[in-house]
Amino acid sequence: MPWLTETLAHHSEPIDPVLWDWISAEINHLLGISSGVMVVLLGALIMVLPMALLVMARRRF
Amino acid sequence: MTNRSSDLDDSRKKGAFYGWYIVAALFFASFLAIGLRHGFGVFVKTWEEDWGVTTAAISLAASIGVLCNGLSQPIGGWLADRYGGRPVLVFSLTVMALSTIAVSTVSSVFGLIILYGVLVSFAAGGVSHPAMAVVIARWFDRNRGAAMSILVAGGSVGGLVVVPFLSYALVEFGWRAAWVIIGLLALGFGVPLLLLIVRNKPSELGMQIDGEQHDESNRELPQSSAQYIGPDFVNKWHQALNSKPIWQLSFGYFVCGITTLAVAVHFVRWAVSEDITEATAALAFGALMFVNALGVLVVGVLSDRFQRKNLLGTVYLIRGLAFISLIVLPGDQAIWAFAVIGGMSWLATVPLTASLTADVYGVRNLGTLFGFANMSHQIGGAAAVLFFGWAFTRFGSYDIPFMVGALTLLAAGIVSLSIREKTHSVRYVQVIPEGTVGDESSLRDDR
Repeated sequence: MPWLTETLAHHSEPIDPVLWDWISAEINHLLGISSGVMVVLLGALIMVLPMALLVMARRRF
Repeated sequence: MTNRSSDLDDSRKKGAFYGWYIVAALFFASFLAIGLRHGFGVFVKTWEEDWGVTTAAISLAASIGVLCNGLSQPIGGWLADRYGGRPVLVFSLTVMALSTIAVSTVSSVFGLIILYGVLVSFAAGGVSHPAMAVVIARWFDRNRGAAMSILVAGGSVGGLVVVPFLSYALVEFGWRAAWVIIGLLALGFGVPLLLLIVRNKPSELGMQIDGEQHDESNRELPQSSAQYIGPDFVNKWHQALNSKPIWQLSFGYFVCGITTLAVAVHFVRWAVSEDITEATAALAFGALMFVNALGVLVVGVLSDRFQRKNLLGTVYLIRGLAFISLIVLPGDQAIWAFAVIGGMSWLATVPLTASLTADVYGVRNLGTLFGFANMSHQIGGAAAVLFFGWAFTRFGSYDIPFMVGALTLLAAGIVSLSIREKTHSVRYVQVIPEGTVGDESSLRDDR
């Protein structure tokens, strides 16, 4: 029953591969940045919030 | 200077209310958990090539994952009600991170089913909206809707950042390393953040809900306790089923499931039937998801200023208009009208329903009751996906299912607007708990 199992999540289902192919192609076209640099940039972006939050919380107490 | 003004000065010196730190930590947890689940789609082609299997085989792992995640959400909510949101969130994210790292070792669809489909997905249910709502509702009363909406937006932002991150990591390091990296990020940043920042309730840090100060001059109304319960407060979650609001909210959420999940599955098929390319349909759906991140934040802020049931009803009616646009407008116009109008309402129901449930029934059973509403959402979605598919096969058009969707949204709008918020919500009804002395700790078992 794939129709059932496809639907049992509230907006957290895996991304549509068609949508992602289009988005990634557009990003590559627009930015032209190598994948290694993108990994570093996005990885840094992911780490910024928790690090900033921990620093702010530490200052508070 | 009085004691009260001195307290307020101290509070200002310390900065923002601590609850917002918790919102930020939960935003990040939601960002990681939902972003990681969205990221599964990035690896499908690679696995097909590496293991020599079909898309259907990989989809089986994803489908089982969706099923496990759906089932675990009410369980996560119930555990959060019973043991507090913090341990459930920390434990779930830890299991999720370790399972994610373990996915890097699999070499077959069966392994993927066990590690991703079962373990990662089930654990993700403990880092979902019901468990987080349990924490937020104990920290926020006046800004509960805004706080909830930020969490929900965190999932959308996670999809926008984590998915490209995984994609580029896949290209640069291979798929196994990509899963290890994201698992380590969750373990190294997400888990410590939850451990160090999140507290189940303000009293653990000597605070009160909304950061209110103790007011010695007003001992008659034990404000915090009153805000932890609601006019329809029940000791056992199933007792709430004897009251109207939970059914009204669940009916609305049932329709929410019908109209979001059916569209998510059938949107591209509908577009192709209207001679619109798959790429355009994908772009329009992407635009819808972007608009929804903005819409949910706006609705969250508004919900703390106006009656939530009015906003909830309006959201359903707006989505109804989006469905009507699919019927009456030409396909190339309808797809963008739906992306914008539907996008405004897409996730906005989540903070409104969660906040309203807490306002009416209090926080003790919020995780379970919101999980109950989520269950109705999934049932509605599952039935609608089947119905939309059957109707398209039978009639060769989506007009009839879209009309059914519009009618159910009209009904959801009316039912939501009929909720008597001013007689059922703690925002409008003064609730004075019996035997309390001005501190929420007097509520037994209210973790």
